Amino acid sequence: MDLMLFAPEITMVVTGLAVLLIGLFLPVESKKVLGYLASLGILIALYFTVASLGTNALAFYDTLSVDALSQFFKIVFLVVALLFSIAAVKYTEGSKNTEEFYVLAIFATIGMMFVASANDLMVLFVAFELASISTYALSGFEKNNAQSLEASIKYFLIGSLSAALMLFGITFLYGVTGTTSIPGIAAGAAALAASPIGILAVVLLIAGFGFKIALVPFHMWAPDTYQGSPSLVSSLLAAGSKKMGIVAAFKVFIVALIALKVEWQIAFAILAVITMTVGNAAALSQTSVKRMLAYSSLAQAGYITMAFVVLTPMALGGGILYALSHGFMKAGAFIVTAAVVYMVLSENKDAQNPDHIDNFRGLGRRMPITALSMTVFVFALAGIPLTAGYMSKFVLFSSTIQAGFAWLAVIAILNSALSLYYYAKIVKYMYFLPTEGKKVSEPLPYTLALVVAVAGVLAIGFWPEPFIYWAMEAAKVLLAGGM
Amino acid sequence: MLLSMIVLIPLIFAVLTLLTRTRAQARALALVSSVAVLLLTIYTYFMFDSTSAATQFEEMYTWVPTLGISYNLGIDGISLPLILLNAIVIPLLILFTWNDEKHAPNRFYSLILITQGAVLGVFCALDFFLFYVFWELTLIPLFFMVSMWGGPKKHYASIKFFIYTHVASLVMLLGIFGLYFAAWSNTGTPSLNIPYLLSQFQFVGSGMTRDLIFLALLFGFIVKLPVFPFHSWLPDAYTEAPTAGSVLFVLLKIGGYGIFKIMLPLLPFTASPNLMITIMGALGAVSVLYGAFLALAQQDMKRMVAYSSLSHMGYVTLGAAGLVSLSVSGAMFQQFSHGLIMSIMFMACGVINNATGTRIMNELGGLAQRMPKLAVIMVLAFMASLGLPGLTGFIAEFSVLSGSFVNLQGYVVIALMAIVITGAYHLWALQRSMFGVYKEKLGNVVDINGYQTFAMGLIAILIVYFGLNPSPVLDMMLTNSEYLVGLMAGMGV
Repeated sequence: MDLMLFAPEITMVVTGLAVLLIGLFLPVESKKVLGYLASLGILIALYFTVASLGTNALAFYDTLSVDALSQFFKIVFLVVALLFSIAAVKYTEGSKNTEEFYVLAIFATIGMMFVASANDLMVLFVAFELASISTYALSGFEKNNAQSLEASIKYFLIGSLSAALMLFGITFLYGVTGTTSIPGIAAGAAALAASPIGILAVVLLIAGFGFKIALVPFHMWAPDTYQGSPSLVSSLLAAGSKKMGIVAAFKVFIVALIALKVEWQIAFAILAVITMTVGNAAALSQTSVKRMLAYSSLAQAGYITMAFVVLTPMALGGGILYALSHGFMKAGAFIVTAAVVYMVLSENKDAQNPDHIDNFRGLGRRMPITALSMTVFVFALAGIPLTAGYMSKFVLFSSTIQAGFAWLAVIAILNSALSLYYYAKIVKYMYFLPTEGKKVSEPLPYTLALVVAVAGVLAIGFWPEPFIYWAMEAAKVLLAGGM
Repeated sequence: MLLSMIVLIPLIFAVLTLLTRTRAQARALALVSSVAVLLLTIYTYFMFDSTSAATQFEEMYTWVPTLGISYNLGIDGISLPLILLNAIVIPLLILFTWNDEKHAPNRFYSLILITQGAVLGVFCALDFFLFYVFWELTLIPLFFMVSMWGGPKKHYASIKFFIYTHVASLVMLLGIFGLYFAAWSNTGTPSLNIPYLLSQFQFVGSGMTRDLIFLALLFGFIVKLPVFPFHSWLPDAYTEAPTAGSVLFVLLKIGGYGIFKIMLPLLPFTASPNLMITIMGALGAVSVLYGAFLALAQQDMKRMVAYSSLSHMGYVTLGAAGLVSLSVSGAMFQQFSHGLIMSIMFMACGVINNATGTRIMNELGGLAQRMPKLAVIMVLAFMASLGLPGLTGFIAEFSVLSGSFVNLQGYVVIALMAIVITGAYHLWALQRSMFGVYKEKLGNVVDINGYQTFAMGLIAILIVYFGLNPSPVLDMMLTNSEYLVGLMAGMGV
């Protein structure tokens, strides 16, 4: 077995431990170094992952696999982690817990990466929990902020419940097929399809993953948690952790349970429609930008869920590409909120609701780069051409029509048009409404993270070929495993 | 490379213009860019073979081979006149605004250039993906144009315009997807090439699918055009936009272009072509009459011009549905002529508003005494708009009406009724605002400045020139119309 297969994970673990150890001995004012160190480690891991695209291998008694699917999602997670750690240099400034903030994020990312590689449900579950527990702690990072604590507790309680449901589902699968290996379950699927326990397992698993992906009606925690957590943590939750739920669901449903397709396909169709509609409708009336982004994130998860319904290589490729695009767009949008919150708090330490949309007034003049980036992100989320969001929607929605689900595509497209309203509202506040605020010097780390995210959004928009190619390769892995 | 330069020069200069600091720099850069586009377009025009309906100056590079997307440009006799119209009016528009005291001039001129690049891109694109990208790109600068420099209801108007036409574009996108996948599943290779997909339409499985694809595409185009009953974004957007924005809206001929370039070649292969002709003809005829009545009822001069625009756009769909080469080429010429005429009319509204502070016609009066130069140009534009022989409007409308009469008598009769009303509201507007006794409370009104005179005067001269000698643009339109009509005849429509 070649350990180099896991060079990205190993790099991340080493980085995480190094940050933790070095952080112990650094005075508060020089803890900035940790941010650079973490970013460097993530960059190296990202390099290893990109370099290993195209490898196909199994490792550790076939419990982990390295293939186009796992590597593609690792890229998604690492990109989000990179944006997170660059921006966090500013956020953690002056905090004595800097190293904990980074270590938790790095370990969460490692958990997500192992979920992407998992070829066995036990590994998948353990990795899932590694990521979840790290993020529970992260969302309560602001210990003196009641909102943050509430967010954390809510997330923790609901997260634990969903983990329990998931575990129940897994035990049923194990009970019927006698194995926890994903291909093994797929091989024993005939027994599952014949027994009512199969259906029960499907229901439990949908609920378990539904919580993580925040599908309506399992979404109740998401708006509160995204709003209450520090913005950067919300970016990690929406852009990273949610994708982990999606890749895990891909593996469990499409690879392991393809034989029960008829049962779960219709469930996902209903969930997709409800989720995107509720998400967009609720986002319309929000005044907290973070909450609006949380609901928009629901809607986007609804679009991605369409891939479970259509199940063609192109649709899955579209869903996978969407995951990457959403990573850039949503992480970027939350980092913008973080920058705005920073601006508001630096003017008035006791400001209430620093992410209120009124604080976005005149941002185009006050923080030009931040505002321009936000414009790119929201237009991308709305699906305006030459952005990553458009490219992903193009592939995903068009494949839906190709597969004969025109009604689903029509609902998705109407939703997409509806979403433009609240995205345009943010642009309106930033550029058209007057403000008394003065121009603010934009913190470099935030700006740098935003520039990287904008570059990603535009790169996928202008030159989608390599991204589409690898997303399709990843989709082929899913379908090959299930057939 | 020629077409790429025409499309990309404005987009590149838009970025440069955005980086300028002063008004003088911004307008100079914008002028340089637009004049460069004009010269390239004139060169293209003289190299163009107007006796051929084939695509010319084609450029092609693969872009996303997995999905069959390519960067593919090319023009024919449908697109070149519209490119010419855009290339002529934009530099004049920049001259017209030369002395305007607008805030953020760098953004203002940059938005004009982006709009120009996007519109030219739509006219040149031969790939549906590229076409859609440019199509949507026109939205963003116009949205900002209205909401940054617009009138009192600018926010409402800009959001309404954006969402209304964006929804229509999405419906159109559904149609494109339908066409794309139908062809893909038939031939096994993905391609978004427009001529290829148009030629594959006839092999699409069921008649119902073909009709749905046709209607989805048609919806996208007629909302943009617009025609009744999908016009309600138009009066708000046209009226609230600043003068330059209104002129950019007028030059946004992409809806009509889509009808000629995409709808007509598909029409004979739909399951029920006669139904489609009825839809287009009826919407066109009703728009002509309905727009004229609404224009008659307006107090605000700019709103009147906006509704008159709706009325004139009705001729485009009516002529396209007429299906004889005279009516189709007349409808194409209407787009060209309307672009010239409406540019002057909106410029005139802007000048009057700036000079007197109002556009309500009853509060105006006798302006011709204080603004003689404006009066001459304006009267000429109004006459052209109401269809006076010898000017471009007459040629377009006469061809449409007489050509369409062959197949669509009933609709032509409806549209004919509008002619009287059209005459009435134009003359009445002139009478109320320009002639009669000068209202002293308007203050000391000064005439248009040299730049404005030059810009408006040159367009006025073109209206006369093309009115007397339309063949420089009409010939190529006729070539293409004959080709399109031949296609229909081949299918027995």
